[in-house]
Amino acid sequence: MRVTNIVMRSALAAAFIGGLTFPLSGQVASPAVPQAVTRGAVLFRQECMFCHGVSARGGMRGPDLTTGMWSHGGTDADLAATISRGVPGTAMPANNLTDDEISEIVAYLRTLQQPTAISAGDHKRGENLFFGTARCSSCHIVNGRGGLLGPELSTVGSARSRAYIVESIREPGRQLTQNRAFGDSIASKYDTVTAVTSDGRTIVGVPMNEDTFTVQLMDTSERVHSLQKKSLKSLRHEDRSLMPAYDLNRLSSSDLDDLAAYLQSLRNTSSAPKGGSRENR
Amino acid sequence: MKTARTFALGLCLAASSVSAQVTPERLVDAAREPQQWLMYAGSYDGSRFSALDQINRTNVQRLALQWVFQTGVRGRHETTPIVIDGVLYLTAPQNHAYAVDVRTGRPLWHYERNLPKTMSLCCGPQNRGLAALGDRVFMGTLDAHVVALDAKTGRVRWDVAAADADKGFSFTGAPLIVKDKVIVGVAGGEFGVRGFIDAYDTESGRRAWRFYTIPGEGERGVDTWKGDSWKRGGAPAWVTGSFDPELNTLYWGTGNPGPQMYGPNRLGDNLYSDSLVALDPDTGALKWHFQFTPHDVHDWDSTHTPILIDETIAGRPRKLVAVANRNGFFYVLDRVTGAFLLARPYTQVTWAKEIDANGRPVLVPNTDPSAEGTRVCPSGTGGTNWHSPSYSPRTRLFYFFSYEQCDMFMSDEKLEPPYRPGRLFIGSAFFPMPAEKTETAVRAVDPKTGTVRWTFKQFADAWAGVFSTAGGLVFSGDGQGNFIALDADTGRDLWHIQLGAAIQTAAVSFAVDGRQYIAVVAGDALFALALRTEP
Repeated sequence: MRVTNIVMRSALAAAFIGGLTFPLSGQVASPAVPQAVTRGAVLFRQECMFCHGVSARGGMRGPDLTTGMWSHGGTDADLAATISRGVPGTAMPANNLTDDEISEIVAYLRTLQQPTAISAGDHKRGENLFFGTARCSSCHIVNGRGGLLGPELSTVGSARSRAYIVESIREPGRQLTQNRAFGDSIASKYDTVTAVTSDGRTIVGVPMNEDTFTVQLMDTSERVHSLQKKSLKSLRHEDRSLMPAYDLNRLSSSDLDDLAAYLQSLRNTSSAPKGGSRENR
Repeated sequence: MKTARTFALGLCLAASSVSAQVTPERLVDAAREPQQWLMYAGSYDGSRFSALDQINRTNVQRLALQWVFQTGVRGRHETTPIVIDGVLYLTAPQNHAYAVDVRTGRPLWHYERNLPKTMSLCCGPQNRGLAALGDRVFMGTLDAHVVALDAKTGRVRWDVAAADADKGFSFTGAPLIVKDKVIVGVAGGEFGVRGFIDAYDTESGRRAWRFYTIPGEGERGVDTWKGDSWKRGGAPAWVTGSFDPELNTLYWGTGNPGPQMYGPNRLGDNLYSDSLVALDPDTGALKWHFQFTPHDVHDWDSTHTPILIDETIAGRPRKLVAVANRNGFFYVLDRVTGAFLLARPYTQVTWAKEIDANGRPVLVPNTDPSAEGTRVCPSGTGGTNWHSPSYSPRTRLFYFFSYEQCDMFMSDEKLEPPYRPGRLFIGSAFFPMPAEKTETAVRAVDPKTGTVRWTFKQFADAWAGVFSTAGGLVFSGDGQGNFIALDADTGRDLWHIQLGAAIQTAAVSFAVDGRQYIAVVAGDALFALALRTEP
């Protein structure tokens, strides 16, 4: 009963990502003994939440722990090592916890992860859509084929859940906003930026980097621009992705299934996909 | 207090060849030696202001790199160097300490501490700097010791344990020397500690006094805590205070009550959390206190460097102490009596309508953390944080780092873990609002009125303190590595250099051989800049 409570509450906290799902996500099977999960949740609240947030969705100092992406290894042993030894050079400290306590925290974290089950679609058809009529490859590269403007998707099936992939296709801007709020620097890389130069040229693209005085961006023709903000007529950031929303008019439900199946088939051979970490603010 | 500051550089340099030990008198008169940087905030008034003006608004464009000192230690460097008679002393995370020749940037010695494998630290293994007296420098350590190092060799002269690190106590702030004592404030407000400010004899290391920032059994104010919650009530003191030699008063900020987001078990005002305490530096006795955020549930530590300002308010010359507080208000108090004079919001504030005539916030209902989450501005990080503010007696403006963000604050009675020594004891969490952008800025406030005179917005995620000079400049940095000089009157950016890593502390200035230097830490390195010499 207590477990349900915890999950319900965490789900409330995480409502905007679609709640939580039992049982475990794919990578490693921890025995999710309910009592262990409960103890893990209380321990998480005591030991981890200050940095990683109430629902482990990331906080001021620590990254989101629900994405299934682990910067320092994703097996139970990797997670235990990260918790125990910390990550040198970041705010993630070594922790004086017993092995049992650590495995309880890991068991709890596993309950928070999105499922990565393969969807029912036809991934071969999805591949044809990706490189063909859906024109995904004009911006996204997969195993050396495709454009440079959007994120590389060669291992997206390991890094992202089906729900995340579907949402990113239907509502590309949504994750940008949410991830930015949790300090994911990747998110702001795919905002839309429009710069108007002093001679009236308009450059639309994605920021490659930015600071108080300069912005570096890649335009829709994959040209890289280095711009001094003071020399611009205007610079506008928009909380939207340059990627069009693939709604039902653009992509039918069955096409979406096929595309999602293809993207989910793109997997890393390593069990520890990189990315998503935000260290040392 | 500030009148002695208008010294020509040439006059100051005459003294630099005289290698003398740091004396209490030199510390009191630090403003007479602007070629040195004798303590954390430069001088006892906490102003982080340099009277040097060789580098100024007209020539700052010629500022150029002279040397770099790489610590090689990973992690967030929040240290302020001190500079004494040609030697710069700085720290790095994990309690590394170094002495560096200021003419060349070459290290003279390196102290490395053997720290426990696990430590109870909320926010990383930071250290913010050293203090100096006689032939020694002093450091508070992450394992809650105070150490005295020989200034010429870095060898340990004494090393005393102040508290039990296993219970969550640590030191991250720079100590302050007052007379023959080294004063340190403890960190650990996330671990259910009972906070304190300690004074140690600089010669022997013997503890001279301890001021508990939470009253104990039978003491006045203990009834501002429900039951025995005072025993683990936090109220740490992790940022260096200020000192008024004429009033013989030490001013020190205190941090959040614990657990910081969950208040029902510690009902009451929770004295002296989130306060400024005025202490007798000889005995540690409390002279007065002022609490900024009674019964705080948003983690708004008042651990700021208080700045002591002499200014006329309402036609009357007054001795003031000014604080830009994490709770979003800028405050001015009478530093003789602690009387509240004014408070004005400098950023978006949703938790209080105003500060009343007695200095107490008029609360907005339903802003406590909740199981579902409650949006409150400023964020848990605060409208500002520990970052050094600065005051220029030339512009008579107060400058500080401002963090513009609102947070979702969550707290949930059913999942509250029990207190366990050395474990986080925070009562839940806060995190940024989805779809709301964080902004950071340097602000200038007129301390006579509390009004914001100018704002310089940085690109997101700056985390740097500020520093002002008689050259009409305010220096700060952004989170992307730009070290920036602003016009102290207008906030206009005059110059910047890309140093390649975030600036997470404030700059200082010193002079050697007739040249003024500006020194700042970015990433893992200290950069020393001076005007390019003409060919």
